[in-house]
Amino acid sequence: MWKVSTTVEKVMIMAQLAEVKAMNTGPAKNLVTIKGTKEGLTVFLNDQCSYDALTEELKEKVARDHQAFGNGPEVEVKVDVGYRFLTKEQEHQIISLLEEADPIKVKEIQTEVISREEARKEREETGITSYSQIIRSGQDIRVKGDLYLLGDVNPGGTIQATGSIFVLGTLKGTARAGIDGDLRAVVGASVMDPHQLSIAGTYFHAPERHEKKEKGPLYKEPVFAYISEREKEIAFEKTRLLYQMKRDIEKD
Amino acid sequence: MGEAIVVTSGKGGVGKTTTSANIGTALALQGKNVCLMDTDIGLRNLDVVMGLENRIIYDLVDAAEGRCRVKQALIKDKRFDCLHLLPAAQTKDKSAVNPAQMKAIVDELKPDYDYIIIDCPAGIEQGYKNAVSGADQAIVVTTPDTSAVRDADRIVGLLEQEDIDPPKLVVNRVRSQLASQGDMLDVDDVVSTLAIDLLGMIVDDEEVIKAAHRGEPIVMNPNSRASLGYRNIARRILGESVPLMAVEEKKSFFAKVKSMLGLKA
Repeated sequence: MWKVSTTVEKVMIMAQLAEVKAMNTGPAKNLVTIKGTKEGLTVFLNDQCSYDALTEELKEKVARDHQAFGNGPEVEVKVDVGYRFLTKEQEHQIISLLEEADPIKVKEIQTEVISREEARKEREETGITSYSQIIRSGQDIRVKGDLYLLGDVNPGGTIQATGSIFVLGTLKGTARAGIDGDLRAVVGASVMDPHQLSIAGTYFHAPERHEKKEKGPLYKEPVFAYISEREKEIAFEKTRLLYQMKRDIEKD
Repeated sequence: MGEAIVVTSGKGGVGKTTTSANIGTALALQGKNVCLMDTDIGLRNLDVVMGLENRIIYDLVDAAEGRCRVKQALIKDKRFDCLHLLPAAQTKDKSAVNPAQMKAIVDELKPDYDYIIIDCPAGIEQGYKNAVSGADQAIVVTTPDTSAVRDADRIVGLLEQEDIDPPKLVVNRVRSQLASQGDMLDVDDVVSTLAIDLLGMIVDDEEVIKAAHRGEPIVMNPNSRASLGYRNIARRILGESVPLMAVEEKKSFFAKVKSMLGLKA
């Protein structure tokens, strides 16, 4: 109990110190600096001062430099806001303040921070979502990005992903990869025996039960399904050859 | 404080009621206080299998709606003093009670019994929700058919969302000969698909049909193979470690009997 409170106190003291330090060393003026870089002009906005102070100085600078820019040709600028988080309204305000000087056109706003929501979305869409469970009959899992399943997909169960799907287990149900149209998505499984499989709207249906000569899964060794360029249909290949396909895709 | 065990399957006709009746009777044989609860309102069967249909006065719906006390609706078994049945209503339907009422009844019964075996209706609708609401544990019954296993899988998925222990599996009506010929799923296939603990398997046995016809649970007949299966399940529920290897032995024994019959014929 005592230990906890000391750590909490320590953290608070440290936070206070950091605040004091920031206040002491923060630049008194010059919250807005304009620099020429390789890609053109960049307006750096200080990320330590208050937002009001920033807009104040921005207004001043623009009014003062208005003449300097004159009515010359349009100048595209980038705005770098550093570690300051701007709301949409604040972004618009900064852009309109800058563009008050006629020739200035804000090309983009660069920031080092994004909101939790944006981060979550970005992670979802590019990341791998991992599940460790059995997807049973009637269950349906749908993720953005890639799906990595430690477990089986039983007959009647469905897994869907906007990216690729990898099943470290037996795929006996339905798998849909690239549901938003990603033709490069693949479906891999340790044991491939799906009822139905689709990649970006191209379907593969399991062979009829009575047509199956021998008992057992479609593929006993790890394979992945992909859309074959030539036949425009689902094809299967040994998982160990997946890297070749990825390499070919990267070449394109 | 007793344990409430729901016997469910998803699919109809796989032997939920037979399993409920026999597990309940087998537990009573071991001297446990058992209450069988039929939740298949509108299509009650458990009373018939137990041979108690002529003694019903009040039923589950009467108890739920307060027309009688829960104790008044209970019927004492003709064979065991420690075995009781709470019958379902035959005239109403599943919507006559709700999960909260069901849970209240189960909770009221729990202090007086060691085990409450809840016989669940087929399906995954209201009746299922009612039956599961008061349960602490679940037994999933399936036969080695593709469709029954599919439905059992669905039920296992639904049970996993409930606040109860992981369900246990009973594979009913196993025909080892067909399975060994590859014309039917074998017990291993079923267990590997459902990925839950196997509580026991019951071989397909004509004696079960005969016993149901007489209104007497098959466990009362000590010479039947199905009876042995149910007795083993009861012992496992009581915490005894009856080796599951017995399943294999039984199978080979069954095969032996078959081959002997074959020789004789």
